[in-house]
Amino acid sequence: MSEVLEGVRKTAPTPLVQLSMQQAINRALGEILERDDRALIFGEDVGVLGGVFRVTDGLQQRFGANRVFDTPLAESGILGTAIGLAMAGFHPIPEVQFDGFAYPAVNQIITQLARMNYRSRGRLPMPVTLRVPSFGGIRAPEHHGESLESLFAHVPGLKVVSPSNPQQAYRLLKHAASMPDPVIFMEPKARYWNKAAVDLTDDQGSVSLEGSVIARPGNHATLIAWGAMVSRCLQVAELAAEDGIELEVLDLRWLKPIDEAGLAASVSRTRRAIVVHEGPRTNGLGAEVAALVSQSCFDTLRAPVERVTGFDVPYPSGDLEDEYIPNIDRILFGVQRVLEYRRG
Amino acid sequence: MAEISFPLPDLGEGLLEATVLEWLVKVGDQVERNQPFVEVETTKSSVELPSPIAGIVLTLHGKPGDVVLVDRPLITFAVADDSAGIVGTVPQEAAPKRRVRLSVVLDED
Repeated sequence: MSEVLEGVRKTAPTPLVQLSMQQAINRALGEILERDDRALIFGEDVGVLGGVFRVTDGLQQRFGANRVFDTPLAESGILGTAIGLAMAGFHPIPEVQFDGFAYPAVNQIITQLARMNYRSRGRLPMPVTLRVPSFGGIRAPEHHGESLESLFAHVPGLKVVSPSNPQQAYRLLKHAASMPDPVIFMEPKARYWNKAAVDLTDDQGSVSLEGSVIARPGNHATLIAWGAMVSRCLQVAELAAEDGIELEVLDLRWLKPIDEAGLAASVSRTRRAIVVHEGPRTNGLGAEVAALVSQSCFDTLRAPVERVTGFDVPYPSGDLEDEYIPNIDRILFGVQRVLEYRRG
Repeated sequence: MAEISFPLPDLGEGLLEATVLEWLVKVGDQVERNQPFVEVETTKSSVELPSPIAGIVLTLHGKPGDVVLVDRPLITFAVADDSAGIVGTVPQEAAPKRRVRLSVVLDED
């Protein structure tokens, strides 16, 4: 009986607000600072300016320069500061302004942040949430668009997550900030400005914050994506439906740990899978996804798992982006290859 | 909408001024990033200057023949409040375009 009542309560209409992802993240950060005295936000231009993407807009005015502050242009120092603050009991939420600027911080991330808990036998957990505006799609110059998920996901001790819409960004960021582990929070820049309904009232959320989610159900093949590629795959699914093909879109969300059960559940139903990502193909996260799917669905798969990815070249700047990032036609070709595959 | 002004950059090595030869845009025009918006002449050469951002022209600071000083405002744009940060541009939401059609005979069993 209580379960039924619980179900009724959760499906009752809740007020929704139209927010862009940058606004949703801004709200989440404000709530985190409100509720957690030990939470601190710092990075390049996050204070006075409010962030180059306006994500930290107004937070320094609200919470003061002791809790939201600007740092020198030194990512290694930003992460080193975060690690020291975490050792002292704080909950740092540093920002690396663009993913390409994360490289100078990689030493701190891999050699200290990711393994401090392990090294100290659990005495020094690292509750650090590193926000990284990620991926391409805004025609930025070199070093302002990268796809670093497979780099981060390869490091033991890190969790990696990428939201695909404002609602997820709002919930997943608060969830990440409450974790005792270091989380790399990859914000898809290309989706910062797209508005969608966000439920700010249901704090726990009726959808789990762990694992993957089905963004669109379908039965002929599963498109697996994360970040900005989710909305592109949803467009592809819409177009494929015109041709009578029902594609399922699985939003992986957590890139470490990967939701193996969620992948298996979807692909064992659709029996075909295409993984789509912006990063280069070789040793990209798509290889890991393909291996997991092949292992869990070997008996039911009707075709080898297809990968539609960026190319094995440096992430190109502005004008060449459209040639690099998987576009609708390249994804449709991938779908076609999987659908027309015949054993034999 | 927000206003963003751009000063005349130093077009050579320590030049102090330039003369406006011709405006390639007018007030009210929508200018795209990297679109040439003015031709100016210095003591060394005449050059077209590309716009560093996309926006609507609000003010042209000078008429053809006027001398403008380096670091003084040259052009002012109105830009959308949600325009991208210091680098990059807001992606335009366009209707999805396709050239590929799926043609498959599904032999489900």
